[in-house]
Amino acid sequence: MTTTRRTLLQAGASMLLASALPARALLPATGPVLLTVSGKILSPNDGAQAQFDMAMLEKLPQTSFSTRTPWYAQPRKFTGPLLRDVLREAGAQGTMLRARALNDYRVDIPFDDAQRFDLIVARLLDDQPMAVRDKGPLFTIYPFDAREELRNAVYYSRSAWQLRTIEVR
Amino acid sequence: MTLLALALGVVLAVAVWVQLNQVERLTQTLQAGAEMVVLDVHQAESEYLRLREQWQHAVDAPPPPDRAALQFRYEIWVSRIGLLRGERRAKVMRSSPEFEAALGRVDAFVVQADRLFAPATPTYRREDLEAMLPALRALNGDLHEMSVSAALHVSEQLTQRHLALRRHNQVALALTASLLALVLAFAWVAWRQLRQLDERRRSLEHLTGVLRVARHDAEAASHAKSTFLANMSHELRTPFQGLLGMLSLLRETGMNPRQIDYLRTATESADHLLALLNDILDMSQLEAGRLTLMPSTVDLRVLLREVEALMRPQAAAKNLALHIDAEPGVPERVLLDATRVKQVLFNLIGNAIKFSDQGAVVLDVRLTAAAAEGPSAMLEFVVSDTGIGIDAETLPLLFQRFVRADATPARRHGGTGLGLEISRNLARLMGGDITASSQPGEGSRFCFSVPLHDARVDLVVPLVDATEDAQPAQPLRVLVAEDHPVNRQYLAALLENMGHRTRFVGNGDEAVTAAAEERFDLVLMDLHMPVTDGLTATRTIRALPDRVAATVPIVALTADAFPETRDRCMVAGMNDFLTKPVSAQKLAVTIRRLFGAGATSDIEPQAEAKGGDAAAGHMSLPLLDPVSVATALETMSPERLGAMIAAFLDQGPAMAQRLRVAVRDGQPLELSVQAHAARGVALNLGLAALASTAQSLQDGASHLPAHEVARLVQRFEEQIPRSREAAELAGLLQPAPMPAK
Repeated sequence: MTTTRRTLLQAGASMLLASALPARALLPATGPVLLTVSGKILSPNDGAQAQFDMAMLEKLPQTSFSTRTPWYAQPRKFTGPLLRDVLREAGAQGTMLRARALNDYRVDIPFDDAQRFDLIVARLLDDQPMAVRDKGPLFTIYPFDAREELRNAVYYSRSAWQLRTIEVR
Repeated sequence: MTLLALALGVVLAVAVWVQLNQVERLTQTLQAGAEMVVLDVHQAESEYLRLREQWQHAVDAPPPPDRAALQFRYEIWVSRIGLLRGERRAKVMRSSPEFEAALGRVDAFVVQADRLFAPATPTYRREDLEAMLPALRALNGDLHEMSVSAALHVSEQLTQRHLALRRHNQVALALTASLLALVLAFAWVAWRQLRQLDERRRSLEHLTGVLRVARHDAEAASHAKSTFLANMSHELRTPFQGLLGMLSLLRETGMNPRQIDYLRTATESADHLLALLNDILDMSQLEAGRLTLMPSTVDLRVLLREVEALMRPQAAAKNLALHIDAEPGVPERVLLDATRVKQVLFNLIGNAIKFSDQGAVVLDVRLTAAAAEGPSAMLEFVVSDTGIGIDAETLPLLFQRFVRADATPARRHGGTGLGLEISRNLARLMGGDITASSQPGEGSRFCFSVPLHDARVDLVVPLVDATEDAQPAQPLRVLVAEDHPVNRQYLAALLENMGHRTRFVGNGDEAVTAAAEERFDLVLMDLHMPVTDGLTATRTIRALPDRVAATVPIVALTADAFPETRDRCMVAGMNDFLTKPVSAQKLAVTIRRLFGAGATSDIEPQAEAKGGDAAAGHMSLPLLDPVSVATALETMSPERLGAMIAAFLDQGPAMAQRLRVAVRDGQPLELSVQAHAARGVALNLGLAALASTAQSLQDGASHLPAHEVARLVQRFEEQIPRSREAAELAGLLQPAPMPAK
């Protein structure tokens, strides 16, 4: 829980900063781009988009938890940065996040979800990177086991695996 | 009611179980997420189509083929296929062999293709891709098949779930309906109960109303009865007065033994009838709660003497001894209603005498220690006898009316049947009680107790001495207002015997006129008279302008004994009150009270040595005192006086006998009383010597030695014939005397 408090404080501070100071520039990606964040962002690094590679995602503070999911029979460990941290990096400011997967699967995630829950962009499954056929490379995962309210179809559908882009609206 | 409650409980339990069950089932189906499977299968199919297109493109396009792009597509498709093998799909597609078969073929292709796309292989030729194309194409049917199959299966499941929900709803509805039914049943039962209660309440109210009316009627009837009795009491007593009065007058005229015998019987009957009437009256008053006690300061020993005097003849007649004794601790003066206490004692002693054939009847008066609550001490009158006793069955019923200790038709023991009940009611009214104990053959013991109230010393009202003589001192002018001719006759004789002058009127109006016209010393006013009644006449007399006439003493004569009547008389302005039948004694006492003690029994016989024969003993007294004779002759004729002397002397021997019996039995009280009676009469007839002897007997009864007393009695007896001679000499009596009894 201290992680949450810390990150909340950080989020608050960053929001203040974000509103008070001009947007901090995001360094451009060097490796293969895994995640593209577009839309209402203040820190693009490629035209109007903010592109992230694995190294950039690795640099952010990582969160790990084990949870049961509808896609795996046993509880699995997911590791990755918090989505709100990623959005902060991109300077995202909006109400809705349109997430698209590799197979054109689309789902709308409320901007609020990222603040309220420890919603992570998982890059490691059981400490191993995920292949495409294993629903990788990125997977938005809610901490299902931690909160009962998340264990329904709505949140399951917001867990987009093979995550490709997030459009901030 | 309990059955309903049980049913309700069962139904509720079933409802709860069903609900829980359904919830479980629903959550299961929800978690299964069947509809997602359809989406997965569709996605697998659509990715397959994209893969096939890209594969074809790789084959058709000029070399080299774009490996990365194709691999990417392939990977995505494989990930979709991988989903189909997951837990979720397994749960949903459990019983579909076609699906399994199709999936098997897809898996086979994947295995092949994996070898092609393995990282070890640096590149692949166009020919390899082309070789796999047919197999890829063949999968079209399978994937489509899987898609359709999944859709159908899921839709079937959904329908089932839908049906299950519907069933669940129906069950819920049924339960609700039965619950409702039960609640209604409850409500109906409750309503019915309320209705019943209401009905019951209503019938109770009705009953209360009916009872109230009944009670009112009963009270009215009782009141009517009391009024009737009060009225009738006067009606009944009036002829009684006439009867008894005449009988007593008859007694005073000379009669032969047979006549006397008949007279005695008649008198007994009349007495009995009077006793019945009094008992009935007392009982009705007690029942109505209208009997009030009039306690006064009473000299207990005098009261006991009177009781003894009255009861002695009865006891003597059956040869029973009568002993009356008071313990030393018993106070001299007590506060009681003397009349009522005597009534009870007469009843108890009378019963004791009635039911004993031999032995003695004893009355013991004593104090008992204080009870836990109530007055400080009780005064106990214990009457014991050696009679036939009372058996255990009758004992508890004794005090109920009309229960006789002996049920023989012969009615050997007489009585009214009300006596004990009245006695006990009186006792309880006084704050005490009567209890009885007895053994058959060993006699009985009645204990009459009353709370003891020590009387103040100053107020001593002398009781009526039953044997006092009726000779007043000065003659009075008496006005008598009485409407009944027999009563008038009786009162006339009575008053004239006492030496008074009388005038008679028949109603209130005439009484007022007479009182205004003449000066009277005394007015005897009957209350119930025609034209104007006694109370009104009294009020009118009291309002006369002539103050002397207005303040004439008026005495009420009435047969009605209620205290309210007495009060009304006093309020009207009467001085005193006499109940009929009026006896000579009562009248004399009243007159004495109003006019002071005359020169009667209090005057000592003069110790003058007048003429006359010398009698034996201390005789300076003449046998016949001329002065007294002369006084007597002022108010009655010589014949009259002579007759009275004769009557008295005829009774002489009997009197002497009584005195002797008293001596023999060692009864000084009895002796004193007898002697006193004799003295009184003798004195008024001028028989001085006899009077003197009697006086000596009276005085010395209790302290003189027995032989002295006997000697006095002897003298008394001897003086009788000698007095007769003296009277004959004086010309009062005929020389030929009447035969002695």
